[in-house]
Amino acid sequence: MIATNVRRLGLYLMLAFAVVSASIAWWQVLEAPQLATRADNPEVIAARRSLLRGTIFDATGQVLATSQVIDGLSTRTYADPAFTHVIGYSSLRFGSTGIEAAFEDVLVGRTDPNPIRDIVNDVLNRQPEPRDLSLTIDRRLQDFAANELGGDAGAVVALDPISGQILAMVSVPSFDATPISGDPDVAQEPMDALRGNEAEPLLARARQGRYVPGSIMKVFTTAAALDAGVITPDTTFADQPEQETNGFVVDGFPIREHDLGGIAPSLWPLSEALQVSSNIYFAHVGLELGAERFLEYARQFGFCGPMQIGPLDRPLSVAPSYVTAAENGECSAFSGDVELATAAFGQGSVLATPVQMALLAATIAGDGVMPQPYVVRDVRAHTDDGTLSQTVLDEFGSGGTRVISTQAARATRTAMVDAVNGELGRLYAGQADVTLYGIGGQRSAGKTGTAQLGGEQAPHSWFIGFAPAQEGATPQIAVAVLVESGGSGSGRAAPIAGRVMAEYLRLSGG
Amino acid sequence: MRIAWRGAELRLLLPIIVLVPLGFAVTHIALSGMFEPGPMELAIGYVAIIVGAHFLLVAFGHRGDQLLLPAVGAMGAVGIVMLNRLPQDLAGTSALGIELGMAATQLLWFAVGMVAMVAVAVGLRDDGILRHYKYSWAAIGILLLAATVVFGYEVNGARLWIDLGPVSVQPGEILKIVLVIFIAAYLAETRTLLTSARLRIGPISVPPLPYFLPMLALFGIVMLIVVRLNDLGTALLFFGTFLIMLFVATGRRSYVLIGLVLFAAGFYVAYQLFGHVQARVDVWLDPFADPLGAGFQPVRALYAFGRGGVFGEGLGQGLVTLGGNLTIPFVHTDFIFTAVAEELGLLGAFALLGFAAVLVFRGLRIAALARDDFSGLLAVGLTASLGLQTLIIIGGNTKLIPLTGITLPFVSYGGSSILASSIMVGLLLSISHRTAVGADVEPEA
Amino acid sequence: MTGDILRILLLLLQLGFVALLYLLLMRFAGSLLKDLRSAEQAQIASRSGIGRLSVLESPEDEPPAGTTIALGPINSIGRNVNNTIYVEDDFVSTNHAMLTFRGRSWFIEDQGSTNGTYVNGHRIERPVALSFGDELTIGRVRMRLDR
Repeated sequence: MIATNVRRLGLYLMLAFAVVSASIAWWQVLEAPQLATRADNPEVIAARRSLLRGTIFDATGQVLATSQVIDGLSTRTYADPAFTHVIGYSSLRFGSTGIEAAFEDVLVGRTDPNPIRDIVNDVLNRQPEPRDLSLTIDRRLQDFAANELGGDAGAVVALDPISGQILAMVSVPSFDATPISGDPDVAQEPMDALRGNEAEPLLARARQGRYVPGSIMKVFTTAAALDAGVITPDTTFADQPEQETNGFVVDGFPIREHDLGGIAPSLWPLSEALQVSSNIYFAHVGLELGAERFLEYARQFGFCGPMQIGPLDRPLSVAPSYVTAAENGECSAFSGDVELATAAFGQGSVLATPVQMALLAATIAGDGVMPQPYVVRDVRAHTDDGTLSQTVLDEFGSGGTRVISTQAARATRTAMVDAVNGELGRLYAGQADVTLYGIGGQRSAGKTGTAQLGGEQAPHSWFIGFAPAQEGATPQIAVAVLVESGGSGSGRAAPIAGRVMAEYLRLSGG
Repeated sequence: MRIAWRGAELRLLLPIIVLVPLGFAVTHIALSGMFEPGPMELAIGYVAIIVGAHFLLVAFGHRGDQLLLPAVGAMGAVGIVMLNRLPQDLAGTSALGIELGMAATQLLWFAVGMVAMVAVAVGLRDDGILRHYKYSWAAIGILLLAATVVFGYEVNGARLWIDLGPVSVQPGEILKIVLVIFIAAYLAETRTLLTSARLRIGPISVPPLPYFLPMLALFGIVMLIVVRLNDLGTALLFFGTFLIMLFVATGRRSYVLIGLVLFAAGFYVAYQLFGHVQARVDVWLDPFADPLGAGFQPVRALYAFGRGGVFGEGLGQGLVTLGGNLTIPFVHTDFIFTAVAEELGLLGAFALLGFAAVLVFRGLRIAALARDDFSGLLAVGLTASLGLQTLIIIGGNTKLIPLTGITLPFVSYGGSSILASSIMVGLLLSISHRTAVGADVEPEA
Repeated sequence: MTGDILRILLLLLQLGFVALLYLLLMRFAGSLLKDLRSAEQAQIASRSGIGRLSVLESPEDEPPAGTTIALGPINSIGRNVNNTIYVEDDFVSTNHAMLTFRGRSWFIEDQGSTNGTYVNGHRIERPVALSFGDELTIGRVRMRLDR
């Protein structure tokens, strides 16, 4: 009797041992890689505590972040708060963020870019050698953009539309990361001050801030509709002039035009409609395109899912942007024609990050190819004297994805050049002149956005564009500028974008 | 008495004789950076104790199971190597003007434990003293428990210790043995009634209430421990052991089910009533929610598992301290398995679990071959207790179940634990000895 | 470079330690298997003896259906646990039947049970000699006598 039951018990216990074995293997094998990179892992903290981290340089070899080890304690010094939301911080108390987190193992040398040397070092348990990084960003342009934003909360994202190199990525307000990256025993107080600050300096607005885009979204609607063949640059909508004054009733909901600044409505084709930023015109375009194609193009352009700034094996994350209500990190279906028509001019449920909108501009500038953005240019051997080593250990680059046809991109570009330089555009934009200053003959393309937030809140001021954009020129910089509650797009964001683009062309000698 | 050569046992002990000094040497080289064996007194001491226990059994003509001592020796070997590797000031004793570090103290307790094991194994010629005085044993158990409630003091939030001058003891460890003896004797006597007499309530048949009383009394004791001593691990261990013994005695899964439902109900009530139970469950469900506060220990343990990987960081090369503090508090008691897994990797962890499994399945074999119900049930209870304790603490380390502060038998630091576990193995040895002798006296038909 | 040599030696010693753990575990496994085999042989030896019962159907799963019970010369069957063959079934009496090996053949005898003992579907009134392959029904439990 007992013997039989003992045998059964043996089976149950064997099962229990198997389950416990599996739970050990779960952490030691399956979860180990994820655990190893978490910032509060004592191994990571211990490594950082005493290990020298590599230097981070800007695109021209200027030092942005350096480490020193004093009495076995490794501390980090940052040269420029304008870079904090790109580089992040490396704190012995709070872990790391930004590039410091993405390149943690490379900076402290725990991973050698050469895989064979990496294995040998691992087996021999060698003391790691730090590596230096250089970024794609020129510090002068970054500082210029940060100064342009001044005291206003907002973001500037600029990239090379062909290579995908990030040229500037500014989030304001920013903070000095040096105090929280030094002695861990005194890092709590400055961190608490940052956490308690209502201006939210810890938020990397360029990547993690999601905003209603307003009229800059019309660039997307234009590009998608042209590519789908739904409209041509000459398309007009017969009811549009009348609806400008009386409203366009969709599903019983009247869509009204915004203040056109005294410009008399008439039967506008694409260029003029974009110049005066006619909501009615683009509502029609959106409805013509249809919900399914609208969503399909949105996904192609990078909306509706996670986005990353490369190199892709060590990415900086970008919050997903949405054209409809978010659902499990995806875009849900359009709830109806009203949502679709309003999304077509950037209201409705559309929420986008400045990075996403800069990529939209870059895609038009790149003749329909969306570049994969990246911000770390290469990994180099470490030097002790803060000079850029000539030994490049690993170099990054990236490709692009064709999103729309060259013809559709070119037609959109023409409309965007008109939106900035055309007669109506200048009339609508009023006093703001966003033609490039100081560079004779160069033209920019772009679109302003004044994102209505409802209620008493002042609208967000947006601009996306690129330059040079005149016939025959190859655009070298695409930009998105956002000023939180900055008023009209033309009043605040457009001049900043114009000056940033001009500064870049001046710096690059173009 | 005749000398009985225990060849299989000796053969299994041989690797241990090499294992412990090798482990000490690897640790010394890794920590000092010098290629030399380093101090070997403790390693030799350990080997001497285990081999000494073997020859004592030989000398007394003991004919019991030959795999138990090697399994104990293997677990203890991994334990002493690990404890020698950890900072020696984590624990220790200073008596008679002699200061002993953690590993040395553990060794002392191992010596005491092995003597106790041999004494029980050869001294307990028949089990009458265990069987017939079962209510006395129960009374001793209750007294011990009461003493803990009254005189005990708290360590790490649970009141488990009684201070006896030079040494502190954990009565819970001894209580464990006493309870197993009582339950085995009780079930051996009433097993017929529990299986045949029945009362139908709907579709389930239950035995009449009077036979349930000891079970209910025990349930009360267990809950008392949970509430008063804040010792969830021991409560789970007692109850699990009891249910296993009940299952083996009656063969009824329904009893186990009823027991589990009762435990779940009790636990739910405790969860609702007591903040510390709630907090512990919350930490279990998501330790990463508060990695620097309540989740500190379990999170650090998981990281240690991750660092170990398949092959381990190497003895002496794990991340035991960080900035002068232990990376995992209580690494030498509650988290010794994690430390093994970190430095010896999944391979070492599986080997250690394998040794524990050998101990458990040998215990079950002894139970299955036992000549009478009492011996069989006693063996089942002792084995279940050792096995469950191992599974509960390792499962707690790996976040399989909520973490509870109990020791890993023969591996964790702690005198009470080693002494109790040694006595339990001594009892198993004595049962298997009687089986072997009996088989000779009355050859089976 | 001496540091590297030291690390390699350390690595080898460490591997040796783990290898030794597994050598020990293998030896344990060997011993366990040896015991298991001798136990099996003992079981086979007892099987070659007089006979066994294969449990064909057992609603309460005690004895579990599909298992075989090795038989001694005298086997009591019933719902009391002190029986040689303990049967968990409401239709089985406390002491239900006696299965005995006398000389060369097996006999079954009802012990005054309430629901009776059946051999190949027929209720028995007195001791009946059995052949191997005969089916016994006790309560709701069906068993077959095998060699």
